[in-house]
Amino acid sequence: MSQTDTSPQQLSLATRLLGLIAGGILTLLSVIFGFVQDQPVQSIILYALATMALFFWAWKFILPHFLVEREHTEDTHGPGPFRRIWIDYRPSLIGLALIVLAFFILAASIDGFLNGWNVLSLIILLAIIVATRTIGPLFETNRSAFIGIMVLIGLFSVGAMNIEGFSSGWNIKSMLLFASFLGLASVGQTLVALLGGLDLSIPFVIGAANVGLLYLISLGVPPWLAFCIVLVIGALLGVVNGLLSYRLQGQALIVTLGTGFAISGGVQIITSIGTAYGGNVFGTVPGWLSNLAAMNGKTFGIPVPAAIFIWALTALILVVGLRVTVYGRYLYALGVNRISAKRVMISELKYWVMAYTVSGFFSALTGALLLGWSGGGFIGVGEQYLFLTLAAVVVGGTSLLGGHGGYGFTVIGVLVLQVLSSFLVGIGLDYEWQQFIYGLLILPMVALYARSPHIRTQI
Amino acid sequence: MKIAEIKDPVAVETETVETPRSTAGRSDPSMIVPITLFYVLMIFAVIRSPSLVSASGIGSAVIVATPLILATYALMASVISGRGTVDLSIGPLIGFINVTLVQLVTAGYFTNPFAFFGLAFLLGAAYQLIFALIVVYVRVQPIIVSLSGFLALSGINLVILPRPGGMAPEWMATWGLGTTVFSPVLWLLVIATLAWVLFTRTAFYTHLRLMGSDERAAYTSGVPIAIVRIGAHIISGLFAALAAITFTALISSGDPSQGTTYTLIAVTALVLGGASLAGGRASVFGCALGALNLYLITFVLATFNFGAVQSFVTDLAYGTILVISLLLTLVLPLIQRYARNFSPLLYFVALGVVVLGVVLHATYDYGTVSAAYVVPPFPGPLDAVSTMRGMFETGALDPQTDALRAAARPLIWGVVILVVLAGLARVAVTEGRTRDVGPLVFLVIGLIVLVTAYSISQPNGFSFGTGSDAPHEERNP
Repeated sequence: MSQTDTSPQQLSLATRLLGLIAGGILTLLSVIFGFVQDQPVQSIILYALATMALFFWAWKFILPHFLVEREHTEDTHGPGPFRRIWIDYRPSLIGLALIVLAFFILAASIDGFLNGWNVLSLIILLAIIVATRTIGPLFETNRSAFIGIMVLIGLFSVGAMNIEGFSSGWNIKSMLLFASFLGLASVGQTLVALLGGLDLSIPFVIGAANVGLLYLISLGVPPWLAFCIVLVIGALLGVVNGLLSYRLQGQALIVTLGTGFAISGGVQIITSIGTAYGGNVFGTVPGWLSNLAAMNGKTFGIPVPAAIFIWALTALILVVGLRVTVYGRYLYALGVNRISAKRVMISELKYWVMAYTVSGFFSALTGALLLGWSGGGFIGVGEQYLFLTLAAVVVGGTSLLGGHGGYGFTVIGVLVLQVLSSFLVGIGLDYEWQQFIYGLLILPMVALYARSPHIRTQI
Repeated sequence: MKIAEIKDPVAVETETVETPRSTAGRSDPSMIVPITLFYVLMIFAVIRSPSLVSASGIGSAVIVATPLILATYALMASVISGRGTVDLSIGPLIGFINVTLVQLVTAGYFTNPFAFFGLAFLLGAAYQLIFALIVVYVRVQPIIVSLSGFLALSGINLVILPRPGGMAPEWMATWGLGTTVFSPVLWLLVIATLAWVLFTRTAFYTHLRLMGSDERAAYTSGVPIAIVRIGAHIISGLFAALAAITFTALISSGDPSQGTTYTLIAVTALVLGGASLAGGRASVFGCALGALNLYLITFVLATFNFGAVQSFVTDLAYGTILVISLLLTLVLPLIQRYARNFSPLLYFVALGVVVLGVVLHATYDYGTVSAAYVVPPFPGPLDAVSTMRGMFETGALDPQTDALRAAARPLIWGVVILVVLAGLARVAVTEGRTRDVGPLVFLVIGLIVLVTAYSISQPNGFSFGTGSDAPHEERNP
């Protein structure tokens, strides 16, 4: 399937004519839609030209790859080209037909559904699905990243077209801010998943750090010191998690859940002693902490909260670190095959505990930043991260069985989830519908790249 | 399938140790932890609040604990099937069946019990069928399917019923009262348990366990793994439907937000009950005990009045007990090495006798104390000194109790002798083949039973009934 060494060959005359006609129709469509939507003429022309140019470019440079493929297969005396396409892509084609059908049913049942933007959104959606199915397999290794990026682009463009203010600077900033909270919380989950474990204590540590930090501040501890103490305690909790779950790796899920319960309960008991309000802590969040994470925060004069930069820096360090450093490579080695990693003297205990330590540290950091964002302590602030961190890791394409993936993938997963969530909010869906659609979308996204082979091929 | 390969070291080691010696097939040390925990909690619960052992106490315990137990059964069916299938969506599924039925009943579509049960089973089985089809044919990891099922179902639950409300059908109104022990909920529980026990006798169950332990081996030996997996999930769905029905009976309405709680409780109970999340190993007895343990933890903690921090203490205790009992499973191979003839049933009975003694003691004193000394139904706020001593505080005995004790003495001794005889017989059977510490364990258990029974049978006890503030250390002669 590798296409690296085949140069794009000359297209035949019929193909070129076909492309010309298709491009013309597409351009015409975009012009018509533009006028229907009362767009300014300049932008119609601009978009029409851009559409045409993109289409021709794609036709000229992407199509030959598939033509080469087809010529190879036509040498054998098999079924005809259309028959072959049908056989190769049968599930996808049925899926496409179903989507189009669903669209028509929706259009027939809801008044005003059949407007230009929705048709355009459908076309973009279909194009993305077709592109992922056809181009996706060409990427041998990073298919999930490709699919994630395609979904991201699709969601964003559909959102920008359909929702007022979706692509405004403010909205993008808020999306990035929430993505950075989720991204920082998912750091640990990614590392642990690379080793084949799971860490469900993340949301509890987030909540505990959130409440604990405010408690320490309200006790009169200098805020910077309290911040450091919370981070250190978070890391220590991670160490405890790692040590406890090391011998129980098959049940890491449940061990971390147990420690999470204990941590959250314990912290709340500590903060409740001597106060009349069970579980509620009152105090003032220092200005610099709000500045770190609040929407109107500034970083060295730039009107972007520092949490985003912290996340970007963390992502950069982690992506590079996992790729080039010995630590990173050993982590993958352990995740792929524990026994052979042991044979080359890689200490499993060390890396296992280290992954959980990082997880605890970043959970505490997220909790502290969330305190700066919200300005009040709340133990349940991390609750949604219980499944969101897992979802981000899975959607990004890191295997929960260990050894495959990386933090770069998780970044894509986080962004996809965040844009999806903003999109769903934007089209006016309530929280419960959002969650429903989240659940329904994770499955097909994962099914696109993370299908395990049939059992008969594993023997 | 790495999850299946890298089983927890315990499971691997138990298997290697167990295989050559599984002549009796009853030696299952994984049951030690749940049984012990169960009785320890039971003793605490009875001493802290003797009203647990009354018709209404047991009745309400049954009502509250049955949904937990059934949810654990439902989870167990899919966990056994291996591939790391921990069905996180089991809680939301229960909630889904609950809110759907309650909404339909409230809207007046049907009230017929048969329709009610039928629809519940249909919903549960249909969801799990879809789940299984996705796992088998799309071949996505089960944990991911269950994750998306969790999100989707908890979302749709809130859509169906935005806030707790609605009402259960009229014929169900009396189910959740918990005034008698023999409520319909108890019968449901008994039937479900019997159904599971019968299920374990089938070849299908053997196939299921084989598939859970080693899917490749099952496939190569001709087990139709697709059908077995689908079957396991449908069974799980049926039990989830039962759990949903008893949950509806418990709250007499619909509640869309219980999903997360039930998932976490079911997973915890399963692990406390000695099941392996990697698949292939789980027992109905252990699961029921695990769920009961969780209920008892909550119950015991509720008898201490922690005021505002009550729920936090419950969380802390949940987490700590969960982690500790998991760590204890690491010691199991050691125990198994020394106690090869361990029989869970005998252990259960032996400890049961001990607890029965404690129960009798606590409840008799409670019922017949003189009017001057009134035992509060629930102890007051937590106080360090009274917590240490108050556990074993009892009122003075009156002649009636003495007479009762004298009457009960032959019975108790009879039970003790029976148990000791059974233990000795077991020892005698196995002694011929192995020379081990096994007999010693029985001897120790027998001694404990004897001493406890003796202390109960004493007219005045050692110090149980003489003073109101005698420290319990004085029990040792």
